[in-house]
Amino acid sequence: MFDLIGNLGLGFATALSPSNLALCFLGCLVGTLIGVLPGVGPIATIAMLLPLTFKVDPTGALIMLAGIYYGAQYGGSTTAILVNIPGEATAVVTTLDGHAMARNGQAGIALGIAAIGSFFAGTVATLIIAAIGAPLTKLALLFGPAEYFGLMVLGLGLAIVLARGSVLKAVIMVVLGLLLSTVGTDLETGQERLTLGLQDLSDGVDFAVLAMGVFGIAEILRNLESPEARAVVRGHIGRLLPSLADLKRSFGPIVRATGLGSVLGILPGNGAVLAPFASYTLEKKLAKDPSRFGRGAIEGVAGPEAANNAGAQTAFIPLLTLGIPPNAVMALMVGAMTIHGVIPGPLVMTKSPALFWGMIASMWIGNLMLLIINLPLIGLWVRLLKVPYRLMFTIILLFCCIGIYSINNNPADVYFTAFFGFVGYALIKLGLEPAPMLLGFVLGRLMEEKLRQALALSDGSFMTFVERPVSAVLLVLALAVIVVAVLPAVRKGREEAFQE
Amino acid sequence: MANAENSNSSSSPLPWRQDFFGGLVIIAVAVFAFWAGADLPVGTFGGMGPGMLPKGLAVLLGLLGALLILDARLEGGPRLERWSLRGPVFVLGAIVAFGLTVRPLGLVVAGPLAVIIAAFASDEVRWGETIVLGIVMTVFCIGLFKLALGLPIPLAPWLIGY
Repeated sequence: MFDLIGNLGLGFATALSPSNLALCFLGCLVGTLIGVLPGVGPIATIAMLLPLTFKVDPTGALIMLAGIYYGAQYGGSTTAILVNIPGEATAVVTTLDGHAMARNGQAGIALGIAAIGSFFAGTVATLIIAAIGAPLTKLALLFGPAEYFGLMVLGLGLAIVLARGSVLKAVIMVVLGLLLSTVGTDLETGQERLTLGLQDLSDGVDFAVLAMGVFGIAEILRNLESPEARAVVRGHIGRLLPSLADLKRSFGPIVRATGLGSVLGILPGNGAVLAPFASYTLEKKLAKDPSRFGRGAIEGVAGPEAANNAGAQTAFIPLLTLGIPPNAVMALMVGAMTIHGVIPGPLVMTKSPALFWGMIASMWIGNLMLLIINLPLIGLWVRLLKVPYRLMFTIILLFCCIGIYSINNNPADVYFTAFFGFVGYALIKLGLEPAPMLLGFVLGRLMEEKLRQALALSDGSFMTFVERPVSAVLLVLALAVIVVAVLPAVRKGREEAFQE
Repeated sequence: MANAENSNSSSSPLPWRQDFFGGLVIIAVAVFAFWAGADLPVGTFGGMGPGMLPKGLAVLLGLLGALLILDARLEGGPRLERWSLRGPVFVLGAIVAFGLTVRPLGLVVAGPLAVIIAAFASDEVRWGETIVLGIVMTVFCIGLFKLALGLPIPLAPWLIGY
């Protein structure tokens, strides 16, 4: 307990230094600015803004990136409420009641409760990270290659279950992602693999390039196809602060959603994506009058938004303690950390405590800043959203180009982004969801490394995964998760859950 | 594994079903990957060579692709959607144009060029506003990325040397 307070003290001392505070503010602000753009989710936003952090020291860079991340999340909710366009999957639920509230002239209250719910969830999640970060790190040091491999297999299993649509297609996408991750120089022998002789591929496919193409560019192509159906809320936004009655009604949902989101966020395999859906379904079940949902029920905004933010934040736990990114956003964080010479994993906390705890403290400060920055700036976001899409997408595209070029100052990255943009478009047309592919790609290299280590240690015997209890449990869990997902009864329930 | 909503469209002829086409594409990718990694030594489980995973995954991917085709045969599934040409050609063209020009000619040229080419991806394109937007946004980006944040992106090497 004293450890926790001492650690958080160190964290706040780091995060509250004027320069780090400024970076956190800047991150939140630009993150929201880009995140508000319709169709630009947190993944594309971070990929685009990554180069902004290159000139800063590692601690400051991570604080700024975390700010960008929360800003992008909150910007996405703003777009969901005001224009009915979710920036990414997690904001889909917010469009239901959030946009309905906006049409009822309560846009301000919807935005206000989203910010308040997110802030509460963020505060709790920050405490959770601070509290269980240290013990989990100790656990992680006991993990051998077989255990790491098992955990990542479980992550991929969960990603398959959480994907929309058919399980077979999700498996295909995971395998495709794993295959993509093998492109580049082999870690042990230094041999070039699947590079087709291209010099620019010898370091493998850059994750930011892949993510920007598949999420950012493909999303533009998709939006261009469907004729513009944006309904920016006209007229006034109304007051922002919810009334006491509104707060009372939202309190329960926010607390429940925070718990849900925190737990789901820790799961490897992007559990956070499920959190808003789970919260929405739960609140609808608990409500006295479920028919209010979809027509502007404040619980339908408060719950999912809190769940979303809690999950977004606890997703840092697997990254910071085990060095395993649980989703695409965290994979971008790995990229950013590596650029600054920080290898994510259990050693971060012991080797550079100021960085670790400073980043955690800055999460709370970032949440507070969002509350303060966004409420007065909402008018500006509304005006920004009124820019027609035929102009907007060219601006988004220019930002994408500049961002991607600046990561390595290499035009080849720009061409690859175009290529993966086309790949993403093709995947949309073929009904294949890119999210599991990204996770397969993200975990692929580490999985191969651990698999090879584990098998080298056991002289090629696969029994090592079964003989070691922890890895055996993890692999059985992974298998169980997939088996359950293909069972007809669950399959039906899963389809229904995603329909909502 | 057809969803309830689209099982009614299972009457579309097999080659035009989304999953049939998807399976073919996946198999093609798998074959290509296997071919690209054909020279890589596989090694043994105790000492895996660089080719073990690429080849193993390619084979697995091919099998899964075949399964998807089988699925499309048995369960139908939605029809392949129409692919548009205009959006992808101009958007991807704009990105490539940016990549080609940013080093030799700098952001001063690459920025407006990308915006103007991309604008043609929308059928509501208007010449005047597009050119103005391209110039305004480039100036904005120079201010933000170059002056304020100091990114080493070339401005106009042919004019001012950087």
